[in-house]
Order: sequence, then C-alpha cells, then structure tokens
Amino acid sequence: MVSAVEPKTYFLPRQDLAKLLDRLHDGGRQVIGPTIRDGAVMLDPIERVDQLPVGWGIDNAPGKARLVEQHGSRVFDQPPGPSSWKRWTYPPRLTEFAWTDAAETDAAPAPRRPKPVPAKMAPQAFLGVRACEIAALRVQDKVLLEGPVVDRDYAARRRDNLIVAVECAVAGGTCFCTSMGTGPEVRGDFDLALSELDDGFVVRVGTDAGRAALEGLTLPAATSDQTAAAAASVARVRAQMGEPLPMDGLPDRLMAAAESPRWAKIAERCLACTNCTLVCPTCFCTSISQRSDLDGDGASAERTWDSCFTLDFARVAGGNFRTRVEDRYRQWLTHKFGTWWPQFGSSGCVGCGRCIAWCPVGIDVREELLAVAPPVAPAADPPPIAPVAPMPSIVPSALTLPTPTAEGPRPMPWRTVEVLDRRRETRDVITLSLGTDDPGLLAGRPGQFVMAALPAVAAPPISVSRFHPDGLELTIRAAGPATAAIVNLERGDTVALRGPLGRGWPVELAEGRDVMVITGGIGLAPLRPLLDHMLARRDRIAHIHLAYGARTPGDRLYVDELDRLAASGVIDVAQTVDRAGPEWLGRVGVVTQVIDRIMCSCDRTIAFVCGPERMMRATVDVLHERGIPDERIWVTLERHMDCGVGLCGHCQLGRYFVCKDGPVFSLAELGPAFAVEGL
Amino acid sequence: MQNETVNTPDAELRDRLAGTWLTHELDQSARAELARIGRLVRVPAGSILMREGEVNDVMAIVLEGRVSLRMRVPERGQVSIVTIEVGDVVGWSAMVPPYRATSTAVALVDTELAQFDGPQLREAIATNADLAGQLYPVLLQTVARRLEGTRLQLLDLFSQRWVEPW
Repeated sequence: MVSAVEPKTYFLPRQDLAKLLDRLHDGGRQVIGPTIRDGAVMLDPIERVDQLPVGWGIDNAPGKARLVEQHGSRVFDQPPGPSSWKRWTYPPRLTEFAWTDAAETDAAPAPRRPKPVPAKMAPQAFLGVRACEIAALRVQDKVLLEGPVVDRDYAARRRDNLIVAVECAVAGGTCFCTSMGTGPEVRGDFDLALSELDDGFVVRVGTDAGRAALEGLTLPAATSDQTAAAAASVARVRAQMGEPLPMDGLPDRLMAAAESPRWAKIAERCLACTNCTLVCPTCFCTSISQRSDLDGDGASAERTWDSCFTLDFARVAGGNFRTRVEDRYRQWLTHKFGTWWPQFGSSGCVGCGRCIAWCPVGIDVREELLAVAPPVAPAADPPPIAPVAPMPSIVPSALTLPTPTAEGPRPMPWRTVEVLDRRRETRDVITLSLGTDDPGLLAGRPGQFVMAALPAVAAPPISVSRFHPDGLELTIRAAGPATAAIVNLERGDTVALRGPLGRGWPVELAEGRDVMVITGGIGLAPLRPLLDHMLARRDRIAHIHLAYGARTPGDRLYVDELDRLAASGVIDVAQTVDRAGPEWLGRVGVVTQVIDRIMCSCDRTIAFVCGPERMMRATVDVLHERGIPDERIWVTLERHMDCGVGLCGHCQLGRYFVCKDGPVFSLAELGPAFAVEGL
Repeated sequence: MQNETVNTPDAELRDRLAGTWLTHELDQSARAELARIGRLVRVPAGSILMREGEVNDVMAIVLEGRVSLRMRVPERGQVSIVTIEVGDVVGWSAMVPPYRATSTAVALVDTELAQFDGPQLREAIATNADLAGQLYPVLLQTVARRLEGTRLQLLDLFSQRWVEPW
C-alpha cells in the first residue's frame, strides 16, 4: 500500500501546520483528524487547524476519560479517544448489497438478485494516527484484506489512505502499547510522521506519497537538537507507561485458563454493554440485517458493527452458545489476546487502552489478564522497556486444516437458482430441488453449505443435502422468518445462493475403512451427500453403518430413501426415535444406544457425526469407549453465521471460524474446544 | 401367544451367554452358574414379558429379537420408552426391591431370551460372592446406560421450540 523510501527528517514550524493541512486537502482529499466533539476527542473531517484539539489534554483512567483544558498551543497531547480509524475504514453501518433486477429480456422477467454496493468516497488523509493505531490498521488489514476472502468495501476505503502519524508525547493512564510491542514510537507504515515539540513538529517522510504531500512547503531539515528532543519526548512516554505486562506465552496461558473462576468474577462487574468492542480499533465483528422499502420494491442488506458481548451474537436456530456474560467476556479476552495469534499471526490487541477507559465500570484488561492467566514464573529481571517478542503459535503441529488458497472459500457472487421441485419431508421440513448450471455451485463437496437469500429476510446458512449434475438440493426446517420464507417457495420461484462454502467431509479418508455415519434430526441433511459419495464408490469402502435418531417416527427425513437403502443391504441402517406410540415397531432410544452395539472393526473405523452438540458429545463418548481415536471422529458444527466467509466473526470457536475452517472438523482439531459450555 | 421354554443343556446356554454383551466378560464358572439356574425361552412377537407395576420375578437377557419397554400415560396410552436389543437386559427390577416392573415389556418380533427366576438368581448372588462380584457391575452398567439414554431423551434434543431470526 505504501512504498518505503529513504526517510528524511524536516521541521514544520507550528504556524505552518495550516499549510500542511492545505496540502493534505490537495486533490480533493478528505482529511480526517482529531477534534473535540461530545466531550471527547473524536476523529472527524478536519478543514482548519482550529478544529484540532489545540490546548486540550485528557485525564485517562479505568472507567474515566475527561477532557482537560491545558491552555497551550500543543495539538496532539491526548491519548486515543473513543473514536478509532476503523470508523472510516470499516464504517459502523453500510449497505452490503441491494436487491436489483437483472437485465430483463422480452422472453421473461429476470429474477432479482443481490448486488454489492461499492464504496463511493474521496481519497482520505488520516491526520494524527498514533503508533498503536497504525498497528490496529495493520491488524484489520490482515483480517479483512489477507484472508481467503477480501472485504471489498474495506479494500476500497484503505486503497488511497495517506497516513500522517503522530508520535505520542503523553501517555494516558490506560495506555499499554509497550506491553503489546506497538508503540509509542512510530516505526513504519506511515506516509508522514510528526513528533510535536513546543514550537513545531519534526516531520519524517515514510513514502513517496508523504514526500509529495510536503511539496511546496519548503521545510528546513530538522536539527539534531530537534530530532533529539523528539526522541526524548517519546522516550518519556515509554517510561510513563512503566513496566510492560508479562506477555510471554499469554495465548497458551489464557487457553489453559478457560475454566478459571475469574471469568465469573469479572461477569459480576461486566455490564455486557459492548463499549469495549465498539471503541476497540481492531474488533471487526458485524451483523447483517435486512431492510425493505415500504412500497416493497427495494430491499437491501445492511451491515453494522456487532459485538461478541450481545446476547444474540452466538444465537442459532435452536439455542445460544454464549448465554452467560462470563462466556462472552471470556470469548472476547481469549480471542483478542489468544486465538487471534493462530488466526492472524498477531495479537488482536494493540494496547491503546480504549477498552479500559471507556468501560463504564472500569474493568482493566491489564489487571484481568494477570488475574486470569498469571505468568508461570515471574521473570527475576524483566527487561524494563523492551518491545515484546513474538508469541509462540498455539496451533498444534498435528493440525490438518487446508491452506486457504487450497480449499477455502473464494470470493463468489450471488447466483440465482430456480426451484424445480418441493418435497415435504416432515411437518416442518421441506427439501427444495434447485436447478443451476453454475459450475461453482455444482462443484461443491459433501458437507459444504450455501448462504440462501431472499429479499428482506436474513440469509441463513444451509447445508447442501444433495448435489446433482444440474442442480442441488437443500433440506430446510422452518425455524424463523427467513427459513420459513425459503420453505414456502414454490416450483418456479427463485432464490439467491452464495457458495458452496466451508470445508466439507474428508471423503477420501473413508476409503478402505469401516464407516459409521451417526446423526440425529435434521443433521442427516449434510451427511446425505457423504452417503451419496460413498455409495457411488461402494467397492472402495468396507462396511457402512448409518445410525439415525429422530424425535418421533414422523420427524425422520428421507424415509423412503432410507428404507430402500436398508432393504438393499448395501449399508446397515439403524433408525431410532426418542418417543413413539405402540404402533411404532422400530427402535426407541437415543442414537448412542444404537452405536454402542454396532459390530465394527473399530481399529479401522472412521465416524462422521452430525446433530445437536449435546448429542454429538454423547456419541463421541461412546466412540471413545469403542476405541475410535479423535483423529477418526469427524463432526460438523453449527454456529451463527452472517457472512459464511470468516469476516463477520459470529461463528468463532477457539482458534477457528466455523464457516471457513469448518464446519467439518475432526475431534483432534477441535481438541478441548469441542462441546465446552459457553465457548 | 404361547411362550416356549426350550430344554437346553446347561453347556449350550452357557455358550450362548458367552456371546452376549452383558455376560461375555464373566468367567466360565460365573456363566456356568447362570446357565444352571437359567432357561432358554422363545416368545412370539407381541408377547408381554412383564407388566408395569406388577411384581416381576423374572430377569432375562435378549439373545435374539427385540423388546419394547412401554409406560402407560392415561391420556396418551402406551408410550414406548426404549427398545431393548440383543445382549441387553429385560427385567432388572427382579433384582432390586420392591421387585416390581417399572415398565411393560413387549416383544416386538419373535424373540429368544435367557431367562432367570428372580428369587433364585438373588439367592445365587447372596451365596456366591464371586458371581455377585462379576454380575452386579455389568447390571449396574446396564442400568446406568439406560439412565443416560433416558436423560438424553428427556433433553428432547431434536425439538424446535424457538423462533429465530432466520
């Protein structure tokens, strides 16, 4: 994004700051910088120097951020305020896509489909970016630009940023950038960097674009005294922050403390108000909500910032994975300081201290980190002001996730498909046969899913329940407005699909083995393509056992199909129901009671499991008793998903995003993260 | 429907018991003792093996077939609670006071059972510590598995009670 050039240092007299501001505005650039608004330092469009917080400081402490008038001429003597640059690079609210009519022909009206709404904006200069905030931009770049799927809006907003950094001259009471190794010195990724002295600014040039912004200002080179004063100023800031926190091994320490009683203690104070995540410059979780015009003609999907502290964040059709505040606080802290490392190669925290200052009850992450995950052995002689070393990865060496480019989802547009057939499975479950010639959709693997969208209702993730050469099937239970709308589609209707997404079943591992397919309820749907796949290669697989549990006999899916399979003897089919009347002559009981009697060569058996997580937990216990190791037990997980490509954050589970790293995992991959309450 | 008691030599019943999940880990002498007091019984589909609430003086191991355990709910009739498969126990209540059946057992298909007279089996266990030491753990395991299964059923994991945003 910026090309590094030989840095050169200049001096900008204070009275010339306005000239620099004018130069930043050149070419129609919008300048965003700090200003006083709503009793705080906010980042807003800046036209004039007097809009900057000249003469203001901030008294910062846990739960406290008060403006203090200092009556001087200094401009940048404040620690970060509640606003961060993501407000401009990753806006709190934007239209993700709008439903538009495709080009119509005389033959037939074209179906409506979602189209992305591109960002329209002038190039921007960010004035007053602190070292920790440069690190925060880097962190969000990694998340939103360097994953298997790029956030197009973010990419457009970041493309032409001119970064004018400012080296801190004061440390707030909540700052801890020295602990996170991000500051206070501005070391890179800037176009220009300012160090404020009493009579002006030492200006460092970081890039050609930065140099161009100085053209016409005829600045003198900074004297050695001026550069020394700037260095001394930032050194004082480092000293003010005191000893860095003991960060060595923190991710592992945190994950080992998943059951710490401290989480419940924190939850006694935490209001789950979401302030910490909204002021955090790196938090990136979003939700997508649907909007429709009153006349019914227009519909769009609006993306808004969300927070893992909201009650609905981990809600799925059928339950909620994080009902307790302590679960949500643990999620936030362990992600920010722990699982961010294996996901993105850095900490998710940059030490700006916003979450501490803007917590209404003054919860201090510095204190909580030490309480939850204390250092194993306190260093006898800690280096006083050294930047932290990179933390070790907590990814086990046995991890078998594919690389994103090898198998992960890639950017893909919405495709409109037509409903060819609609088949009722149970009183609330329908299978839709959808026609498409889109090679992407048809190339899906067993276990993958699609996002299915209709105007004005949410786009739920739905597992593909069968692939055909000219289409696919979705088996859907009406659990809310969106799934009810999809279930009610009739032959000839259209629906928009994006996918196939996620990592499917490792079908190749079934070859040469006994296979147990264990499932319950609608969990049979994502396993059906796996059964299709194995039946098409029946001679390569030893025994196939299907154990299927349902609530009642009337809640079973694909009844005729299973009966035919059972009668054919090609695979063993054992069905059981939780409750039944005397007319039911099949099994009654849970599926675990079926599988603990299946005769198999357990030393060569692989198990594929799908169902409610509690059912899968009980199933795994039986499989373990039967000697089947974690490496040969594969499960598919359900989590809240708004995007399906790892960008909205909802489906995070430990170090994974279920949508893109899963939804299929081996138990060995999940490790202790499987079926833990509140994770 | 007529139950048929098959006259089998002890050795044959002992061998059949060696092939069941419940008793295959018992040692030879324990299985021989069970075979001595046990009998092989064949019952046709629909046979009622015990009735809920009545004194139950028979414990059996299913050797072939399948048995449904049912409970009566006045407004719903007979509700199937669990199906007993080959190798599992029907009538553990014959071993535990007050020796009353907790459910009604119905053979769903033609079924073959290794049947034990409750008082006789209790007497054998009371006088044979070795048999008791081997049989009670597997009986307890059977009851524990059934309890765990019942709890999972109680959770009603496949129900759909919530209306969600999607």
